Amino acid sequence: MNELEDIKLKVLLQKLELEKPDNDFTLRVMNRVVVEDNALEQIKAQKVLGKGFWIILVLFVILLAAIFIMSQTGTAAEGTETVLPKLNSEMSQGINSVLGKMGMVPISVAGILIASSLLLFIDRFITSNTKMFV
Amino acid sequence: MEYKDDNYYVEMVKSGQTAQYSYIVDKYKNIVFSIAMKVLKNREDAEEMAQESFIKAYKSLHTFKGSAKFSTWLYRITYNTCISELRKRKVHFTSTEEVQIKDEAQEMNLDGIPEENRAVVIKEAMSRLPEDEYTLVLLYYFEEQSIDEISRVTGLSESNAKVKLFRARKKLYTILNEIMKDELYTIL
Repeated sequence: MNELEDIKLKVLLQKLELEKPDNDFTLRVMNRVVVEDNALEQIKAQKVLGKGFWIILVLFVILLAAIFIMSQTGTAAEGTETVLPKLNSEMSQGINSVLGKMGMVPISVAGILIASSLLLFIDRFITSNTKMFV
Repeated sequence: MEYKDDNYYVEMVKSGQTAQYSYIVDKYKNIVFSIAMKVLKNREDAEEMAQESFIKAYKSLHTFKGSAKFSTWLYRITYNTCISELRKRKVHFTSTEEVQIKDEAQEMNLDGIPEENRAVVIKEAMSRLPEDEYTLVLLYYFEEQSIDEISRVTGLSESNAKVKLFRARKKLYTILNEIMKDELYTIL
């Protein structure tokens, strides 16, 4: 098959009338594009960490702070002139103390934390599945 | 309305101007639908798959880097979507009516086709080609895609695409010959 015939075939095929979809085809595609966009936006808007997580975190920080303060009460009465030179050693002592007290957190406090976590988890689970029962 | 380069619209859509995607859909809807129609042989299914192809392309537009032509990328998505749909339905991708290539096919004089009948004759001839060969001829002659681009769309190797295109061209000539003979008999 020579090149000229190939060119002629190309010219002939350029006259080919393609099949056409319905008139509203573009509109339907664009409607679906909008739906896809909205779905994507919803996924993006969903918070990875829920409210419950932040409540637990705040409670935990408060608990840590309380333990730390309680551990320092014995040394609070000391004179302020000795505070600055002792800062470094007190910092490390403080950290050690907090870590030490962590091991002695009363079972009741731990129980409260676990219970509140459980309640929050149940609350989230029920909320997320509400749609199933509507 | 002045049509700009495909990449211009692609970049606009990527930057959040979703409405610009309608230019791309408008430009390519007929060829995408034609490929889907040829493979699926049903108007409703073809519309659904053509739509699906455009949505898939939209969703993965961020992966299109512009190293190849946008049309090549879109046709590959269309082709794969239609073939996957056929596989789902467990329909084999073969022609129902195999055209026998004849020696005289090479002697076909395209100038012999009357000007006023050309569009009808070529449409009829193309409709008789099997799905894969129709796609090859359509992309090479109508869309003026290179062998490299066609091999990217169809997943064939370049040499295989060349061989298949050669065979498809011969078949097309055979069909055109048959149509012209039939027309001649009708006139006589």
